[in-house]
Amino acid sequence: MNTESTRVAVVACPDWQAVAAQCDLHARGQVFNAVAVLHAQRVIARTAAAAEQGVQVGMRKREAQAACPNMHIAAHNPERDRLLFEPVVHAIAELVPLVEVSMPGIVVLATRGPSRYVGGDEALAHRLTVIAETALQKLAQGQRIPFGVGIADGRLTAMIAARSAASVRAPRVVAPNESAQCLAVLPVSVLADFAEIDRSVVSLLQRLGLAHLGNIAEIQPSILVGRFGPVGNEMQRLAQGLDRHPPIVVAPPPERASTHRFDVPVEDVNVVVLTAREVADQLVLHLGNHGASCVRLHISLHTDHGEQNDRVWYQPEGLTAAAMAERMRWQMDAWITGRGVTSGVVLFRLSPIGLRAREGRQLGLWGDSTQADEWASRAIERLTNMLGAESVRVPEWRGGRDPAEVFALTSAAVVDVERRALSQVTAEAEWNGALPTPSPSVVYDDPLLVLVCDADGNDVTVSGRHELSAEPTVVVLQQQRYNVLSWAGPWPVEERWWDTSRQRRMVRMQFVVSRNDTAITTRALVVVREHGQWWVVARFG
Amino acid sequence: MFEPLPTLPVPPELRAMFPEGGLVRGRTVLCSGDAAVVMALRVVSSATQAGSWLGIVGVHNVGVQAASEHGVALQRVVFVQPASSRTEWVSTVAAAADGFDVLMLEVPHGITASDARRVQTRIQARRNALVLIGATQQSASQSVFQPDVIMNTATTQWHGIERGAGHVQGRDVQVAVSGRRVPKARQHSLHFVG
Repeated sequence: MNTESTRVAVVACPDWQAVAAQCDLHARGQVFNAVAVLHAQRVIARTAAAAEQGVQVGMRKREAQAACPNMHIAAHNPERDRLLFEPVVHAIAELVPLVEVSMPGIVVLATRGPSRYVGGDEALAHRLTVIAETALQKLAQGQRIPFGVGIADGRLTAMIAARSAASVRAPRVVAPNESAQCLAVLPVSVLADFAEIDRSVVSLLQRLGLAHLGNIAEIQPSILVGRFGPVGNEMQRLAQGLDRHPPIVVAPPPERASTHRFDVPVEDVNVVVLTAREVADQLVLHLGNHGASCVRLHISLHTDHGEQNDRVWYQPEGLTAAAMAERMRWQMDAWITGRGVTSGVVLFRLSPIGLRAREGRQLGLWGDSTQADEWASRAIERLTNMLGAESVRVPEWRGGRDPAEVFALTSAAVVDVERRALSQVTAEAEWNGALPTPSPSVVYDDPLLVLVCDADGNDVTVSGRHELSAEPTVVVLQQQRYNVLSWAGPWPVEERWWDTSRQRRMVRMQFVVSRNDTAITTRALVVVREHGQWWVVARFG
Repeated sequence: MFEPLPTLPVPPELRAMFPEGGLVRGRTVLCSGDAAVVMALRVVSSATQAGSWLGIVGVHNVGVQAASEHGVALQRVVFVQPASSRTEWVSTVAAAADGFDVLMLEVPHGITASDARRVQTRIQARRNALVLIGATQQSASQSVFQPDVIMNTATTQWHGIERGAGHVQGRDVQVAVSGRRVPKARQHSLHFVG
C-alpha cells in the first residue's frame, strides 16, 4: 500500500479561461458560441464550439481566426477566471469545508473524510457531479459547461481522470493502488498538460524514445536525476502516481509565525491582508531557516460572530510571503462576495500543510520570470518598507463606467508580482454605458468644480430628458475663463437605481476648450453634472 | 569605441524623434506641453511590452485605462507615491531606480539642481531610462534636470468631436524635439488616438 500519496477528488472544467470569458460576455448580452482566450499571441483556451471547428491550444491568433472566423477573441484575465469560478468553489465547499483551488477551473479535495461521510468514492463522485452541474448551470444561464469529476490516488491521476470524465460526461473513479497502472499507458505529454513540467523536457523525453509514463516509471531514479537534475526525480515520482515533491516535515512554526489575533474585529480587507503579509514574512523566514518552502497553504479565517472560512492554496514552485498575502486577499474577496461574512475578522491562521525542500529558483530562459521581474519585486519590497504599503501600488482591472473605476490600484506588497508579470492586465470588453474610447490620460482623484455657462452667462442645466438648457459657450475652471470650441454628450449614467443609499444619477460630457488669450492651446475635458453642479473628472493630457 | 548605445524600444512612429532610434539607457527625456502625459505613456509603451518594468513615481492622476490603451503593459507598472519631503523624494527615486528599468517622474516643487544631479547620476549608473513629465511649456527651460531630449507638445486639432455631436477620437500634436543630445531641433507632426 502506498502511504505517500493521498487520495484526492478533482473537479475540473477544461478550458475554463474560455468558458469564463464566454459567461462574462453572455452576462453583458453578447452571445458567442466560439470563444478563444489569447495570451502572448497564442491560444491558451477555447470553448468546445471553437474546438470543433479546429481551433487548437497553442495556435497563433491568425491561424485560429482562419479556422473559425466568427470566433470571439478575449484577453487572458486571471481575475475574471477566479471571480467567475467562485460560485462553483462555494457550492462544493458546502459539502466539503476544506477545498483547494490551485488554479481557476480546478478544485481539489482530499476524499478520506467526505467519502466516508457520503458512503464511498462512487457516491462522492456522484454528489460532486450534481453539485458542480447545478452551480455551472446557474452560471451559464442554462447552457452546458463541460466539466468532469475524477477520484484517484495522487493529484496527477485524479486530474487526468477528471479530464477524461469531462469528455464522457460521467465521473471516473480509479480504484486505490491502481494509479500507476492507469498512468503507465499515457503519453508523457500529460506531464506538461497536468503537472506543469516544462514542455522542452517533455519533448526531450519523446526524442529519447520514452513515449509513455510507464517507460519513465521503470527507469532507475538515479539515471533520470543524472540526465535531468531534480526534475528527473519529480517526473519519476509523478509516473509512479506519487505527489511531485516528496513530503518533508519540519518543526511546526511558532504561534507568532502562523496565527494572528486582532484586538478588535477588523472589517477592512486591506488591514487583514497587510497583517497577513507580516505574519507570512515570519512564516516564510521560519520555513526558510529549515530549508523548506510552502507549496500548500491552509488559510483559516474566523469572525466575531463565529463564522469560519477555510481554504487550501497550492503553488508547485512554493509560495512567497507576497503570494500568501495575495491568496488571503482572494479568499477574503470570495468570502465577502459570497455573503458568508457578517462581522469583522478576529483571527486568522496560516498553516503550511505541504512543504518541499527549498532549492532556489532557476530563472527561465524564455517566457518565464526574468531577472528584471526579480529586481522589480525586490524594489517593491524595499519601497514598501520605506513608504508604507499604501504608497506602492499596482493596477488591477475591476470594471466600471467611470474612467476612475475601471482599474483599481492595489498594494503591491500583497500581489505576487513576479507571477503576475507573466500574465496580462488589460481592460475587458467594454461596459455598456462606459465612455467611448480613447480614454482620458489624466483622471482626477478629486474632481474639480467648474462652471458651464451659455452665451448669456447663465448656468447650463440638464433636463430630466437629458437635454441641455442652452449651448455651452464658456467654462470657468479655477478662476480661468475658457471658450468652448466643441462639445459632445450629454450621456446619461444611472447606477444602482435600485439602491437608494448608493444610487448615482448624472450626465457626462466632453468639452474642447481654449483659453481666452491664447487661442492656440486647447484642452479636452471630461465633465459630469451631478447634484446640480458640474465637475471636471478627467482630461486628455 | 563606437559601439551602439544600449537602447529600449519605442513605438515606430516615434523612432524618428530619437537620434538613436530608441530610449537610450542612462538618459533623460522630458515631455512637456499639453499632451505631455500621452506623449510620455507612448514613449515608454514599447519598452514595457518588451519586458521592462515601469515605475511611475509621484505622477498624479495618470489614467490607467489610457495607459493600457496606449500600449503600456500594466502587469509591469508600479505606482509609487513618495513622501512629501525633498530628501525622501530623492531616496525614493533612487530605490525605484534599483528595480525598474524605466522611471516616469513628475518633479515636485522644491527640488534643487543638486537633487536633480544626484538622481541623474544614479540613473546613469544604473542604466535606467528616465522620462520626466513637465506640466507647463516653460518647464523645459526652468527644469532643474538636464534633459537629453526635450519633447514639447502642442495639440493643434481634435478629431471626432463637434458642436454637440461625436466624441473625442484623436488629436494632431506638434512635437518640437530639442535638447543637448539632439543634433538639430526639429518639429514633428503626430496623430494620437486619445
